[in-house]
Amino acid sequence: MEIDWSVIPGFLPQLAAGARVTILIALAGLVGGTILGLIAGLMRAYGGRVLNAIAFIYIELIRGTPIVVQVMFLYFAMPVLTGLRVDPMTAAILAIVVNAGAYIAEIVRGAFLSIPRGLTEAGLAMGLPQWKVLTHIVGPLAFRRLIPPLGNQFIVSLKDTSLFIVIGVGELTRTGQEIMASNFRAVEIWTAVAVIYLILTGTLTAILRLIENRMRIL
Amino acid sequence: MSIIEFHQTSKHFGDLKVLDEVDLSIEQGEVVVLIGPSGSGKSTLLRCINGLEQITGGDLIVDGISVREGGRQLRRIRQEAGMVFQQFNLFPQMTALQNVAFGPRKVRGLGRAEAEAQALELLDKVGLKERAHHVPSALSGGQQQRVAIARALAVRPKVMLFDEPTSALDPELKQEVLTVMRQLAQEGMTMVVVTHEMGFARQVGTRLIFMEHGKISVDGNPVEVITNPPSDRLKDFLQHVE
Repeated sequence: MEIDWSVIPGFLPQLAAGARVTILIALAGLVGGTILGLIAGLMRAYGGRVLNAIAFIYIELIRGTPIVVQVMFLYFAMPVLTGLRVDPMTAAILAIVVNAGAYIAEIVRGAFLSIPRGLTEAGLAMGLPQWKVLTHIVGPLAFRRLIPPLGNQFIVSLKDTSLFIVIGVGELTRTGQEIMASNFRAVEIWTAVAVIYLILTGTLTAILRLIENRMRIL
Repeated sequence: MSIIEFHQTSKHFGDLKVLDEVDLSIEQGEVVVLIGPSGSGKSTLLRCINGLEQITGGDLIVDGISVREGGRQLRRIRQEAGMVFQQFNLFPQMTALQNVAFGPRKVRGLGRAEAEAQALELLDKVGLKERAHHVPSALSGGQQQRVAIARALAVRPKVMLFDEPTSALDPELKQEVLTVMRQLAQEGMTMVVVTHEMGFARQVGTRLIFMEHGKISVDGNPVEVITNPPSDRLKDFLQHVE
């Protein structure tokens, strides 16, 4: 079979629709995952015994199981257990939230705990409450250290959306699979799909580079 | 009423007793120099005053408030007791001026313009007015420590606590920090200083306390105590320091 790149433009609208779904899952999932990760990470770093234990169990459960199993559980097992049925899209977004949240929690904890203890003490010693020390002193410093590993996790999560093919979400990889099934143009279609992923991750990398350059990492 | 009162104050780290039922009163205007071998509890004693270490026995009253109250009351104590650290601990993302203005703005609720005007005066006082817009990493150790002193003063404390303020500095940089501290003492500031600088203790200190095993073993006039050590342990210690 001859390779014919000219077939690609014809499928671009379909691939673009798939990419839009991928972007939507990744964007919504990562916004939620960052918020969840921030909360769980701060619970690990500053919470009492109970909060710390809750966050620890959550992180270990997620890090210890594959994301495919997690999304299967959300989509197939949760309705049985709770009677709440979710559509594939919601399950996919939830899976990214919960999965990325666990990894981001460890990134957040590491970044906050890497800020020298003396700076916290200096803030407390002037009579600031703990939360102001976190928001005004430790937080801004930790944020700068957060960006490189956070960017890494964003890219991993973006690519993880391809695994939601298993629950039938019409994201980019599944779109590629569907086109393939009708015309068998494997080289052309999977090349196009790979290039679109590269464009997405490349854009993410460029944005992160920009943010990193904008602020000095202290 | 004394500004700082230790009443049978103890501090344990697990099974380790770092402060052993200490009784001590410090009056306004005193410059108390704390010395002692490492592990004798001198830094812990200092850090209990502003609650960076929690006492585990007895009581400790600062400016009429017990450190045991915690919360808002403890924060009131901390506003009245400024602290200078061995490692300076300046906020690296802020300029010298922002470091000094930070406390007044966030603790005392001053407006930015007013806080920065005051901060500039304080930087001038420690001889660093022209360095106001430098970040800490662009300053020498001695300059950083002088900014740290200005930062602590900016909250307008009644007492200043110094935790080995010159120990991380090269000999030639120690002097500029000691000069600022001397000036502060002359202005009548109440100071509690953990240090190995016996020259400072002799010239500036109004009282010298030698600690051993979590207890105060010698408490007296610096010149008298240094010239005529009342215990062999102190005599031995002084020989090693000087």
